[in-house]
Amino acid sequence: MLRIKNLRSGYNGVEVLHNINLNANPAEIVAIIGPNGSGKSTLLKSIFNLCEIYSGSITFKDKNITNLPTYELIYEGISYVPQGRQVFGNLTVRENLEVGAFVMMDHELLKRNIRDIFDKFPFSEEKQNDYAFTLSGGQQQMLAIARALMQNPELLLLDEPSLGLSPKAMKELFEKIKQINREGIAIIIVEQNAKQAVKIAHRTYVLEDGKMALEGGREILKDKRIKNIYFGGR
Amino acid sequence: MIALQLLINGLIAGAIYALVATGFSLIYSVCKFVHFAHGATIAFSAYFLYFLFSILGLNFGFAVVLAIAFASLLGYGMNFFVYKQLRKRKASSVILLIASFALLIFFESLILLLFGADVKTIGFIKIAKGLEFFGAIITPLQIFIVAASFVLLGLLFLFMKKTKIGKAMRAVADNKEVAEVVGISSERIYDYVFIIGSAIAGIAAILVGLEQNLEPMMGTNLMIKGFSGAIIGGIGSVPGAILGAFLLGFAENFGIWFLPSGYKDAIAFIILFAFLLFRPQGILGIKKNE
Repeated sequence: MLRIKNLRSGYNGVEVLHNINLNANPAEIVAIIGPNGSGKSTLLKSIFNLCEIYSGSITFKDKNITNLPTYELIYEGISYVPQGRQVFGNLTVRENLEVGAFVMMDHELLKRNIRDIFDKFPFSEEKQNDYAFTLSGGQQQMLAIARALMQNPELLLLDEPSLGLSPKAMKELFEKIKQINREGIAIIIVEQNAKQAVKIAHRTYVLEDGKMALEGGREILKDKRIKNIYFGGR
Repeated sequence: MIALQLLINGLIAGAIYALVATGFSLIYSVCKFVHFAHGATIAFSAYFLYFLFSILGLNFGFAVVLAIAFASLLGYGMNFFVYKQLRKRKASSVILLIASFALLIFFESLILLLFGADVKTIGFIKIAKGLEFFGAIITPLQIFIVAASFVLLGLLFLFMKKTKIGKAMRAVADNKEVAEVVGISSERIYDYVFIIGSAIAGIAAILVGLEQNLEPMMGTNLMIKGFSGAIIGGIGSVPGAILGAFLLGFAENFGIWFLPSGYKDAIAFIILFAFLLFRPQGILGIKKNE
């Protein structure tokens, strides 16, 4: 469904990712793990045109989406949850969800989707009129994901969703991600918490210094090379 | 009864400052730069109304509608031809601020060139006898100014709270990058903000033009008051700008109870300095939601 070919990208002329190839299939969870600074987040930013792309191509459902403006990607069926609980703090929970469906013209569908989100994330109905900045960290992250689901995406990109969450909130989060995936939404998740991510993923890519180092299924955690990548031993 | 009269005068001044501050603050909160040329929009629109009504002799209502449309177009044009081009070249907000000064000076000079330096009066409303109540005097026009200002501020509030574009504006003001991610083109929202913010400036221009004489520098003078109001209320917060503007209007008018009226403008600056020193975020200043 998503196909990244020979991608080179970075910031201000400095190349961070070198020759990256990646595939994601429909209804699949793909984890991207790797040490700090290996370029995991840059990979997602490349898809959403939030960094510079020097060469290579990104296609989604056979359409070339390389360098498409950020605000147009949602029309293609891709939603992105940036790192760091990015909610609109000065908007209410309900307004966050409404803005999440900005491109949706069908008012009935919008209402139905909000109802759907309220069922999936009960706290959001309870706190629908509260400003988002008053929510707990875990709830803000859930709201950011809920907002991304408002447009019925086929592919959801999650950038370090567990960052800074309590163990309890983290557990809930990974459960939620699995639940979302069971409804047929493909997910690419970038995670520091490698173990958890690999556990819920169908396939995993391991990045090291901006290059693809390993690729595999759940057994990848047992691969000796993982240790070298994370701890630098040879 | 002096107090009541000063209260009324403060209310009138505040109503006009609030309109200036609101349009300015709206643009600042969404676009994140100081658009000083907002003052030029006000001045030029007031002169445009003068041109249509007093020189061409158009129907007043029609001239008012055209003047508001002109204000919107002027604001939109400034954004499109200057700010947008600079943003494309990755200009910082300081560059945009300097560009806005350039625009302000440019348009004020243009007014001088086209209309001359002498004051102009629109003269639609003949001097009417003020209504007196409890010893204080207020003219029907002044009542209209205050009422129009309140209605407009109310409408703006509803627009920002209830409409899709209003919510999108608040989303861009809050976090531009995430707004783009959910499908909102920030450049398109900037267009809307300039159209709406400048329309409010146009309405302020009309109300000022009915009350006072027009002079080429009127935009700068009003902008200083609007800007001070916005800082006092909390820069980036539209309700704050309204609150700050009224506070300024009252402070100026009550100030001349104790001070010679020549100090009226100084009062605005003293309050501005006091806020910058002791409460730089203003009354309703938006703190980062950490």
